[in-house]
Amino acid sequence: MKQYLAIIAMDIKLALRLRAVIFFNYLFPLFFFFGFAKFLGRSQQLGGMVYVVNMSITFGVLGSGFFGAGIRAIQERELNILRRYKVTPITPAPLLVGSMVTGWIIFLPYIVLLLLMAHYLYQMPMPAHMLQLLVFISLGLIAFRSLGLVIASVANTMQEGTILVQLCYLPMVLLSGATVPEDTFHGVVKTIHNFMPATYLVKGMRSMMLDGQGLADKANLAAAGVMLLTILGGGLISMKLFRWEKEEKIRGRAKLWVLVVLLPFIVMGVWTWWRG
Amino acid sequence: MSTAPVIHVQRLQKSYDKVEAVKGIDFQVAQGEVFGLLGPNGAGKTSTIEILEGLRPRTGGEATVLGFDPDRQKQQLKDRIGVCLQATNLPAKIRVQEALELFGSFYTRSLSSEQLLKRLQLWEKRAAFYETLSGGQKQRLALALALVNDPQLLFLDEPTTGLDPQIRLEIHGLIEEMKSEKRTVVLTTHYIEEAERLCDRVAIIDEGKIVAMGTPRELQQKSAERSRIDIVTEQPMNGAALPQWPDALESRLAEGGRSLTVYSSRPARTLFEIMKWLDQQGMQLEDVHLKRPTLEDVFVELTGKKLRD
Repeated sequence: MKQYLAIIAMDIKLALRLRAVIFFNYLFPLFFFFGFAKFLGRSQQLGGMVYVVNMSITFGVLGSGFFGAGIRAIQERELNILRRYKVTPITPAPLLVGSMVTGWIIFLPYIVLLLLMAHYLYQMPMPAHMLQLLVFISLGLIAFRSLGLVIASVANTMQEGTILVQLCYLPMVLLSGATVPEDTFHGVVKTIHNFMPATYLVKGMRSMMLDGQGLADKANLAAAGVMLLTILGGGLISMKLFRWEKEEKIRGRAKLWVLVVLLPFIVMGVWTWWRG
Repeated sequence: MSTAPVIHVQRLQKSYDKVEAVKGIDFQVAQGEVFGLLGPNGAGKTSTIEILEGLRPRTGGEATVLGFDPDRQKQQLKDRIGVCLQATNLPAKIRVQEALELFGSFYTRSLSSEQLLKRLQLWEKRAAFYETLSGGQKQRLALALALVNDPQLLFLDEPTTGLDPQIRLEIHGLIEEMKSEKRTVVLTTHYIEEAERLCDRVAIIDEGKIVAMGTPRELQQKSAERSRIDIVTEQPMNGAALPQWPDALESRLAEGGRSLTVYSSRPARTLFEIMKWLDQQGMQLEDVHLKRPTLEDVFVELTGKKLRD
């Protein structure tokens, strides 16, 4: 426990000292929030400010997961920082758990701030089940950090990791319904949309903010369950594939473990597609 | 006090794909000893030390460190040893004292960060970010991290490579302090003077094999290389015929007959005879210098190449 607390405390201090973290966790999502609030905040067709808040949070969650957790983990390995940890008794578990918890602690205040600003500045109704919404978003945040850490585990170089992150990040931003409205998707695009992990985060947040649904709603409960499975599966796989040194390369076949982490979302996608 | 060796290595082997980096080496390290692995780059020093630290699995042979198998009992071993890696890096924005406290939390037992910082002359830099430290300060921090769990066994992999001579001397002083505290130290280096100054025993390693092992003095005496005696007198020795001194291999006069250089396989005996002769000739002695073969001379003799090739 001492190791876990020490890692988390240090990670938070380090994160708050990095300009990139301040920018991508706070300033970048705020830019989208204020920018899109001006143009789309009154659009009833899209759900008004709920759409804008949903988009800002999704940007933040995906950024935190893929860049904050994933790219940072690859960077620490490439810079030989993890190598120094390797000669101590510490195992991968505190480092991985520390990354997930730190991301949550840093980003959660921003989510609360965003919801308060949307309510007081743009008259967005406060969600009926605020605490349940925060729990749902927290699960999403940690699940995507877990995905980011799995990508870090299977990428052999920073270049490879950047490609994998972009292959995940951009489609999720565009096809989850966070930016491009879900109603515009048809055919193959609609099918892909149903398999996007971020889709369930976006849908759940929308139903809780717009329709007053809580976690007890079946669809939201299923989404929360899938994200929880992702956290557990991602954590275990990250530990299994964890590498301390850049010279330790992972074989091609081992990268298929990413599909195992995405399995819960694949199952959800198949179920949604089958239900039509 | 236990007399069992702290480190026992037998027929140790390490291969990377088809490259054999360590080809079956044997050695033991006693408690409180400073043991050096001396050899050129690529000799197998780092591979050997990393196997003993539990960083790399061995391909063959046996190794026991503090009674633990480095492959099978990694966590127990790592809790008891201190390691200074050849290249250490820490997060740029971590402060010096924070780094010590963080790493201290990884062990079951750790020393006070304040105590370590004062000892390693880093107290004034305790709040500085890692990225702002000089090369010497970073190396002192690396040594502090190696000492954070108060280990009885330390592994130092090339601790002064790339540092200025002044900083190297400072680091040598710190290592000598560790020696005086009866800590066991295993040190890898390709610097002769470092091995000669710091090590109780040295294993010269080349192409994955130990080619010689012993105290620096024993290794120097094994060498068939010649010791050199330089004599400078106030008056020229030109007029006197130089005798054939016992065990002298070659004699040369220079500087107008005032400087005499004699190569000898038994310098003490030869020097004694030279002094007697000078006294008989009534010559006044100005300077005497004796240079014994170095470990580099030993290395060249055994391998046919220089340490820095």
